[in-house]
Amino acid sequence: MNGRVLVAMSGGVDSSVAAAILRERGYDVVGVAMRLAPEPPAGSIRRKATCCSHDDFEDARRVAERMDFPFYIVDLREDFAARVIGNFVDEYLAGRTPNPCVMCNREIKFDRLWSRAMAIGADFIATGHYARIEQDGDGRRRLMRARDAAKDQSYFLFAMGRDELSRTLFPLGAMSKAEVRARARALGLRNADKPESQEICFVPDRDYAAFVRRAAQSRTPAPGRIVDSDGRELGRHPGVHHFTVGQRRGLGVASGEPLYVREIRAASGDVVVGRKSELNARGLIAEQVNLLDPELAGREIPVEVKIRYRHPGLPATLRALDGARAEVRFASAGPAVTPGQACVFYRGDEVLGGGFIARAIAE
Amino acid sequence: MVRCLEEERGNPASAHRSGQRARRELERARERVAELLGARPETIVFTSGGAESNNLAIFGAARAAGSRRRIVSSAIEHSSVLAPLADLEARGFEVVRLAPDRDGRIDAGKAAAAIDDNVALITLGLVNAEVGAIQQVAPIAEAARRARAVFHLDAAQAVGRMPIDVRSLGCDLLTMSGHKIGGPSGIGALYCAQETQVAPLILGGPQERGMRAGTPNLPGAVGFRAAAEEVASALHAETSRIASLANALLEFLLGAIPGLELNGPRLERVPNTLNLTFPGVLGESLLMALDLEGVEASMGSACAAGAVEPSHVLVAMGRTASAARSSLRISLGWSTTDEEIAFAAATIARVWRRVAAAEPITETRDSGVAETLR
Repeated sequence: MNGRVLVAMSGGVDSSVAAAILRERGYDVVGVAMRLAPEPPAGSIRRKATCCSHDDFEDARRVAERMDFPFYIVDLREDFAARVIGNFVDEYLAGRTPNPCVMCNREIKFDRLWSRAMAIGADFIATGHYARIEQDGDGRRRLMRARDAAKDQSYFLFAMGRDELSRTLFPLGAMSKAEVRARARALGLRNADKPESQEICFVPDRDYAAFVRRAAQSRTPAPGRIVDSDGRELGRHPGVHHFTVGQRRGLGVASGEPLYVREIRAASGDVVVGRKSELNARGLIAEQVNLLDPELAGREIPVEVKIRYRHPGLPATLRALDGARAEVRFASAGPAVTPGQACVFYRGDEVLGGGFIARAIAE
Repeated sequence: MVRCLEEERGNPASAHRSGQRARRELERARERVAELLGARPETIVFTSGGAESNNLAIFGAARAAGSRRRIVSSAIEHSSVLAPLADLEARGFEVVRLAPDRDGRIDAGKAAAAIDDNVALITLGLVNAEVGAIQQVAPIAEAARRARAVFHLDAAQAVGRMPIDVRSLGCDLLTMSGHKIGGPSGIGALYCAQETQVAPLILGGPQERGMRAGTPNLPGAVGFRAAAEEVASALHAETSRIASLANALLEFLLGAIPGLELNGPRLERVPNTLNLTFPGVLGESLLMALDLEGVEASMGSACAAGAVEPSHVLVAMGRTASAARSSLRISLGWSTTDEEIAFAAATIARVWRRVAAAEPITETRDSGVAETLR
């Protein structure tokens, strides 16, 4: 036996194959599916193709039965509502654009589920993330991009601590999605060809503004003004929670050239728009920064920074500041920077750390 | 039972000889089950189990109730009682759900006071499924008799754990389950006193004196009979053996786990279940950790999709939702040995310490979002 490992299972093909691989390698696998999203409101359409529906749990349970390891469902709805959904709503109310998957990894998988793993006497936790953990000669562990660049999910994992890196397994880190599906078929798993979930699991219809209104109720932002950089009113909008910095569509303002959201001022309710060139930032200030290598603190380090999950990355200089903040200066003028999104620092394939974007540096 | 499955293909309702043999087996089973309740064989209706017996008792008595529109029950009943009551409530019945005290006991005086000429049915669990409290039902039976209301006892948790006599209990209907007394699943019975009016749920044949159509489950009935015979011969010795094992386990755990609480009465209980609130841990987590170490426990209720709701019984008994979430049931049975109890005691204490250290209950920083989305 290689020790006991708690495997977080969604019922999807990735986590199913991750669990099966560990079982084959001789780990004492304990499969766990997390109940996260609140019940859908009465009368709403049946939730489909999202995480944590009943069918997904049944898929995960079948994998456990087939591979002969114990399987449990854990109810983390309250923690998820308080720490992930609550944060999601608060961020929108503050005029930012949150990334709940990063928050879920930090607050749920590597906090609540981590505690559960220790409670059941597990030595490790494992997920179906596409990322790698490598060990140095001196025993230090580094978080690395997945081999399959198209599937790499290391962006979502920057908030992991060093202790967590030493006790986490990502069995899919060196595999491509095609290899994972082939492996699932070879193992006879029913969910081998199951489509991927893309949307945020608790907003399956992707109508974030409607979700925010329902969750925030009386705190829902009031309608406000759309203004240009000089403060001239160009139109009205139904509430700042409808907007994301960098967004072009849906402004409802007629103009000779395309306009983009430059800034969201939650306090006044103003949404500032401008031409594309006005959005270009020279860098950003990040907060809640986690540095996986503490020796990086206090130095200027050349990095590649990703400012959104699908962002290809930009060369930049990172300087850690006090209070878990950091300043990132792009090597050349960068694209629009969206406050609330995660920014993650890489050196080659290694994740050096990351944080949440507080604001852009304009010049 | 195996012989019956392999050889006895006869339909007890048929006239031919194999049918006659089958009929004899079925009626022998009915006699033994009736004996266990101190009842006459013709008062026993075989069903598919406790849930069906409860449904038959409640819907059947309600349909036969004439103009009476009130039903008296309690807040701590099994879901196979609560769900039919909710259904009847939606169809115009008034349902009175009596609250228990902190130990899960229903005040018999209050229950009796709620019974008048408009009451069609009183339905109560004789032994509570989650905390094991035995209800004192004599005053309720007396009030029911005076009001000419039907008195149903759900005794699924009581038969095999305490002596049962339908005459001294004074009930008109009584639910029992086959597998709860060590018989097979898929068989149960409803005792139905001769003069009590109950409308059948399953129509289409004369079986079970017209109370339940369909070819009887003969292998189930034969297994039920064997279990009933076992209970009849060993009930007294086994209950005192299990009581002393349960007490030993409880005493050990009270000493090993500071702040541990027993839910339910210390006395006036059936001994087979200990419902315990474990300080500082989530029941769900402790349950998982114990299961992996070979100790099986159970929780209030968990739906198939894993949503853990606090036990309605413990909440009705005045526990907070958080205390209810920290509670587990540990059940002992006729097969439980001294060695198993010693193993369970040591394992529970050790695993509780680990879970409490690794995953202490934390106050969630509730932003109120959970409420608004509910």
